[in-house]
Amino acid sequence: MKIRTEALTKTYNLGSSRITALDNVNFEVNEKAFTVIVGRSGSGKSTLLSLIGLNDVPTSGKVLVDDIDASKCSGGERRKIRLHHMGFVFQTFNLLPTLNAVENVELPMALAGKASKEQREKATKLLEIVGLGNRLLHRPKQLSLGEMQRVAIARALANDPEVIIADEPTGELDSKTAKEVIALLLGISREEKKTVIVATHDEKMVEMADIIYTIEDGRLKLEN
Amino acid sequence: MTFCFRNLFRRKIRTALCIIGVAIAATFVIAVGATTLRYTTVIKEMNVLFNGQIMITSKDAIVIQAIPIGGSMLPQNFTEKKIRNITGVEKTVPILFVVPIGASDVSQFVPVNFTWGIPVQDWQSILGPTPLKGNTGHFPTNESSNEVVIGASLADQYNWTGGSKLIIHGYRLNVTGILDTRMALLSRSLIMPLKLAQNIYNYQETINIITVKPASGYSQKYLAESVERNVTYVNALTEEERNDIIQPVLSQVETWNLGIQTIVFLISLILVMTVMIMTVSERRRDFATLDAIGAPLSYTFRAVIIEASLIGVLGGVLGIAFGSLSAIVLASLYTNIPIAQFFPSIFEIVPPPYMVEIFVVVVAVCCVGGIIPAVNAARMRIAEVLRAEY
Repeated sequence: MKIRTEALTKTYNLGSSRITALDNVNFEVNEKAFTVIVGRSGSGKSTLLSLIGLNDVPTSGKVLVDDIDASKCSGGERRKIRLHHMGFVFQTFNLLPTLNAVENVELPMALAGKASKEQREKATKLLEIVGLGNRLLHRPKQLSLGEMQRVAIARALANDPEVIIADEPTGELDSKTAKEVIALLLGISREEKKTVIVATHDEKMVEMADIIYTIEDGRLKLEN
Repeated sequence: MTFCFRNLFRRKIRTALCIIGVAIAATFVIAVGATTLRYTTVIKEMNVLFNGQIMITSKDAIVIQAIPIGGSMLPQNFTEKKIRNITGVEKTVPILFVVPIGASDVSQFVPVNFTWGIPVQDWQSILGPTPLKGNTGHFPTNESSNEVVIGASLADQYNWTGGSKLIIHGYRLNVTGILDTRMALLSRSLIMPLKLAQNIYNYQETINIITVKPASGYSQKYLAESVERNVTYVNALTEEERNDIIQPVLSQVETWNLGIQTIVFLISLILVMTVMIMTVSERRRDFATLDAIGAPLSYTFRAVIIEASLIGVLGGVLGIAFGSLSAIVLASLYTNIPIAQFFPSIFEIVPPPYMVEIFVVVVAVCCVGGIIPAVNAARMRIAEVLRAEY
């Protein structure tokens, strides 16, 4: 799946002031590459990921998914693209607290209408891959932060998407757990041949990246 | 469904209080509704007794369907003779109606025991083809006998059977049969020969009702006017007039009942809506996450509606159980009949269709209460929610 942006701009109105979160961003995601976007807090990383993840619509400019302007798609169409072609990993994991690990991973498959047997088999396999084969029935509050993030990564892979979008996935983790999560995401990119886009502060993540972008005051710059 | 159920009980105390609130509303509606329904049914079915006949009482009596309340007694022979002489009268039946009998000197808020004194040859014209329980026993055979038939509800309450002996005002009576009817009025009645009733209650040669059957070709209306013209101290009421007297009262009772139900359900609706709005607002991140991973709007909408209707289902079931119990307690309180005796006839006091109707309304009200929160959840703008979470 090819994702690129053309003159992407996003502004927010906060009271009487107008804040430009992204300013005329032209960005292209290389397929199957591990792309990292680095920037300080408030620089516009999350806004950019929201827009290319079709969770938000730009103020102006385009988000092109396989050369189709996705910002012109209906909400339902954008949801379908997110469900079938994209996986999301959030800084605060965003697991549903009333579902256990395996149910959380099954959820995107259930939404995609897969059979429950298939859901359970695949979710179990994914949790085993991320090293949580023995924690299937644990609820999020019974898991450590690192374990929660690994469940979230397994959930992102559930519908076998082409693109994984991770917004500060190591932001809440200690350095040892962060290393494990980086290794997982890298493995997804290198071994599963998936496009991985990560917004981060993490130096280690930057070292591993195929492509590095920096973002400052809403302006994006290619570093390598 | 499991997902919704678990979410519902994330805030156990709040959800439990909401369910209790809905259950109290349903209890109130069932208890008041069933009691009202029961009394209006009793009042409506009274008129069946004098079907096709004019009912004559003294001018100062208040008549509710087939029951005269207060008013002077009528001299039996004199009044009957005057009425029989009127053109268009085919048959007259003098009746002494006494309330209450005080068979066990019980006192009650509402009189529920009645005595009918009816000439023995005229049972049929008043009671119609009412059979006796088990087809055993017989109606009193002559005017001077001390025989009496009783309603099934009275028989149950006092444990009377065919052959039982009763003593009323010093008169020893033999029960010769139990009336087999579901009509509430008759099931709480003692029916005896007119002369015997007049002797027991010391109303010799006086009565308080005369029923008049019009001869063929004469309308009830014409005959009633004719009776009132010729016998100035009586009121002659046609079937239609008897219905007209009570109909506004019944309509008003039903309107009030509907009004109370509407208010109670409106309060439930607001309660459920408030609780669901709080729930949705607390779980903004969950709904945003669902949206982010691609859940359709209908999925989110449905999840909230199912949670709201689960409150309705649980509250409705509890409410119907407690409401039925309350209706029985109220019936017992108003009649002085022990609660235990009402249990076998619980479905007569609270008819199953009424239970189903209230259950459906409770669930529907809760579903409606979930609509605004569900729309809020489905319309959540994920980027804003997720940004606000960090």
